[in-house]
Amino acid sequence: MRQRLALLIAPLMIGLFAAPLLAPPAIAAAAKTTLTVDLANDAATLDPQLQWDTDSYTVYRNIFDNLLTRDSQGKIVPQVATSWHYTDPRTIVFNLRTDIRFQDGAKLTPADVAFSIRRITDPKFRSPQQSQFDVIRSAQVTGPAQVTLHLKTPYAPLLAQLVKLSIVPKAYVEKVGNTAFNQHPIGSGPYRLKQWQHGVQIVLAANDAYWGGKPPFRTVIFRDVPADSTRLADLRTGRADIDHQMTADDAKAIMHDKKLQVLSTPTERVGYLFMNAAFGPTKNVLVRRAIAMAIDRKTIIEALLQGYAKPVNILLTPASFGYVPDIPAWPYDPKQARALIKKAGAAGAHLTFLTSPSYNRQITEAIQQMLDDVGLKVSITQVDQPTFLRRRQGPPAGAGNLSQGLWSCACQDADGVIWPLFHSGSIWSKYSNPAFDKAVDAARTTLDPKQRLADYRTAFTILHRDVPGIGLYQAYAIYGARRQLQWKPTPNEAFFVKDMRWK
Amino acid sequence: MRTIRRVPPGILALLALLGAYGAVALGAPWIAPHDPLHQSLLLRLRPPLYRAPSGTVFWLGTDDVGRDLLSRVIFGARASLAVAVLSVSVSLLVGTPLGLLAGWFRGWAAVAILRIVDSVLSIPAILLAVLTVAVLGPGFFDLILVLGLTRWPRYTRVVYGQTLQVATRPFIRAAELAGARPARILLRHVLPNIAGPLLVVATTEFGLMILFEAGLSFLGLGIQPPTPSWGSIMSDGRQYVDRAWWMTVFPGLCLFGLVLCVNLLGDRLRDDSR
Amino acid sequence: MLRHVAGRTGQALVTIWGVLTIVFFALHLSGDPTLLLVPPDATAHQIAALRHQLGFDRPLAVQYLSYLGHLARLDLGQSLVQRLPVATILAARIPYTLELSAGALLVAAGIGLPAGAAMALWRGRWAERALAPLVLAGQSLPTFWSGILMILLFGVVLGWLPTSGAQGFASLIMPAVALGALTMSTFARMMRVAMLDELGRDYVTAGRARGLSLGAVVLRHVLRNAAIPVVTVAALEIGNLMAGAVIVETVFAWPGIGQLAIQSIASRDFLVVQAVVLFVSVVYVLCSLLADLAYAVIDPRIRLSG
Repeated sequence: MRQRLALLIAPLMIGLFAAPLLAPPAIAAAAKTTLTVDLANDAATLDPQLQWDTDSYTVYRNIFDNLLTRDSQGKIVPQVATSWHYTDPRTIVFNLRTDIRFQDGAKLTPADVAFSIRRITDPKFRSPQQSQFDVIRSAQVTGPAQVTLHLKTPYAPLLAQLVKLSIVPKAYVEKVGNTAFNQHPIGSGPYRLKQWQHGVQIVLAANDAYWGGKPPFRTVIFRDVPADSTRLADLRTGRADIDHQMTADDAKAIMHDKKLQVLSTPTERVGYLFMNAAFGPTKNVLVRRAIAMAIDRKTIIEALLQGYAKPVNILLTPASFGYVPDIPAWPYDPKQARALIKKAGAAGAHLTFLTSPSYNRQITEAIQQMLDDVGLKVSITQVDQPTFLRRRQGPPAGAGNLSQGLWSCACQDADGVIWPLFHSGSIWSKYSNPAFDKAVDAARTTLDPKQRLADYRTAFTILHRDVPGIGLYQAYAIYGARRQLQWKPTPNEAFFVKDMRWK
Repeated sequence: MRTIRRVPPGILALLALLGAYGAVALGAPWIAPHDPLHQSLLLRLRPPLYRAPSGTVFWLGTDDVGRDLLSRVIFGARASLAVAVLSVSVSLLVGTPLGLLAGWFRGWAAVAILRIVDSVLSIPAILLAVLTVAVLGPGFFDLILVLGLTRWPRYTRVVYGQTLQVATRPFIRAAELAGARPARILLRHVLPNIAGPLLVVATTEFGLMILFEAGLSFLGLGIQPPTPSWGSIMSDGRQYVDRAWWMTVFPGLCLFGLVLCVNLLGDRLRDDSR
Repeated sequence: MLRHVAGRTGQALVTIWGVLTIVFFALHLSGDPTLLLVPPDATAHQIAALRHQLGFDRPLAVQYLSYLGHLARLDLGQSLVQRLPVATILAARIPYTLELSAGALLVAAGIGLPAGAAMALWRGRWAERALAPLVLAGQSLPTFWSGILMILLFGVVLGWLPTSGAQGFASLIMPAVALGALTMSTFARMMRVAMLDELGRDYVTAGRARGLSLGAVVLRHVLRNAAIPVVTVAALEIGNLMAGAVIVETVFAWPGIGQLAIQSIASRDFLVVQAVVLFVSVVYVLCSLLADLAYAVIDPRIRLSG
């Protein structure tokens, strides 16, 4: 009796323990035709117009085509639109490709483009991205392959914003409704959605009928892996081919790993320090200049970011239009900083550094210590992100004296950076200077690039003098990948799988 | 009043250990070899027993911004013990009177109190804490408030049950008949008799509050940086766990040791009171 | 008996309504998600417009009544982050938490019950002295600590188990152990007390006097009788397990409703949080109700007093 029992149980036990060991080989075999990407968060939605969220955009960029796109140099080039011209400063005409089909077979027509624009600007649709396309008054079909946009005012960054406009299929959306489209989106891009296990992974399958050519991988799996160390472990064990959001420290750790590589590129994200010019000790411009001179940017970049960042002289990166290279940054000079603080009578002054878990804690603590070293008393107030936004965007008294972050408008244009940060009346701005307002307003409505650059030069000179904030560094996007992956990441952090290959 | 008998050696040992933790927490500024807030960005993530070029030894290594881990762990004891002691006190101060009132006076007040107690107890504890932090904001005093406000129902429930039992005892009825006011009876006769079970609950809660503070700090919602807390040190160290295991292991051992000590104590007390 | 059931059910409903109200007001007092949804360059005017479109500028009482109205029609609303029906989102994530809770229950009972039985049977000997602290150690371990160390040891260093996520049975092992360790001691303690109670009964002495070995008596009668209080404890522990799952799910990236709740509180996705809390409290209240009724069935005093 006992022997029979043992015969029954033994294979069961062996099977139970062997099961987990059977998993890895299956992954290796599928490696070549399947690309596995570890994301830091699950996509919120795959309807391209329902959220403002990097992880969603990383995935849906591969399902949809946009009106325009950027090439590897960052220049705006055609995608769905083949050419365009302004008929007057408020009217722009786009000519479209005629050979694009959606993944359900339907042709992509100007009606779809007009529909997509109307959908994203419709208040009833409640798109969070509405504000980026708000300037568009109407979109009309004006030919078998032509769409005309009418704008409320002349708007220089329009093309930069249209790089982010995805085209959705009018007939399909109207047929199934917004909720169903959100669950089963259909685009015209190189990959179609095969399966979405919320909180676990998204599986995309190649769209062989793609107008741009056959996509490089049969299947792409985006996995939701929130912990940095787990993504690194997945990369090392071969469970993932790409770590989409690698920390600088992890990148340093795999530098000598023969099976892996670090792919990185400077981006348009600018790491910056905000200083409240409307409240507290930071109201005094001498204090702000002292703070600017107290921060050792070089050490932050080398020690905390492992060299995966470049210093910037202004609150903008070279990857964005409007960048001016010859305005000097305040130099690192703690002695001079201490002297200025004494001169301003601010020795021992209390400053509040407002932050949230979304911002680099190590940099926040490092800056706190650097400012303590020059005679200021900085205390860190960490709240959660919604509270942070509410305080930071509210009255100056509650916004803290300092805060730090990474700014990107995903538009590679100075208008999306310094206008919201420093224009009077903007919710982010605790600073008011009519000369600055005039310069950035002009730069926004002029279509002549040379004139715009001149306006931005004026604006940045004012910012250097008044120091309502300083640029700390240009952030790099860091990806960890298998050594066999061939891909050059772009500064706007678009994650196009169709540009990737195995070597 | 229970007669005080000789304290068994097991309980003595546990109390001594607890006392040691308390001593470390109180004496932190004198015991810790370095300033727990002082960063050395060029000495990040150094292993235990690392000797810096200047000659200083980091016995437990350094953290991700180059601070001495030993000093931070020592100061971390302050966060754990202070939060636990204060939050248990707040819960006791709020929960006990409510339980006494409900158990003594009964009627509509009791029904209302008990319904609230039931509702609060039905919400998963950590979610309730996270939610309350979202309203009040993180930070030392807000944390005490959060934990105090979310745990008082546990005490109320026990006090209520015990008060019901004690209220029927003959000597209580005698006191009532003698004309004593309810407040006097509750304070001088009921409370001392329910002190035993209440102490057992308080001890269990003490251990739980230590774990809660660590858990909330781990989630980024507890003690604010740069003040060290065992939970936040482990959270900071999580992404380096394969290369800088010391940031996870040492605070965790201290935390585990303290909570185990408290739980063993509670267990012994529970066994003794039976 | 019927009056007792009706009374307890009524109490349960009031409790659940209380839970909903507490959570609703706590959430709405902590701010709204509008600021989190929009791009950084949105203006105050645009944000106000979106807030109005989402309905967050209505008076709190109006929003509360509207929410209750929807609930009465069994409409849990739509997630603001995922723009999908909350019911759909929950239906996809609940099975994971149930799976985790079941696994943890198995671990807790699988270790706790034999340990409790051993402590009862070998009372006073060294086995009991050794087991008690071991079992209590499980309850004292911070789950996030044991979780991270397990991931390091079994996932990274040894490579035996997946480091996170929910891909197959192997991924369930570590989270279930981490969570189960918490309730282990409750099962052990309950089993020990129940068995000690039973072992002192007359039928045990009688059985032994008739010549049955202790083992036979235990197997045939004691365990069965001790099962009742243990099962009621298990019912109550389910509620605790689902609560404890929150941190375990976060550490192991297990896609259950605990992780969903934490993420949704952080993103102020009100309706999702409310639905999760509603679900967990209903489960908890139901289990308490069932446990209470089980006691009423066993203990005639409660039943007869109605």
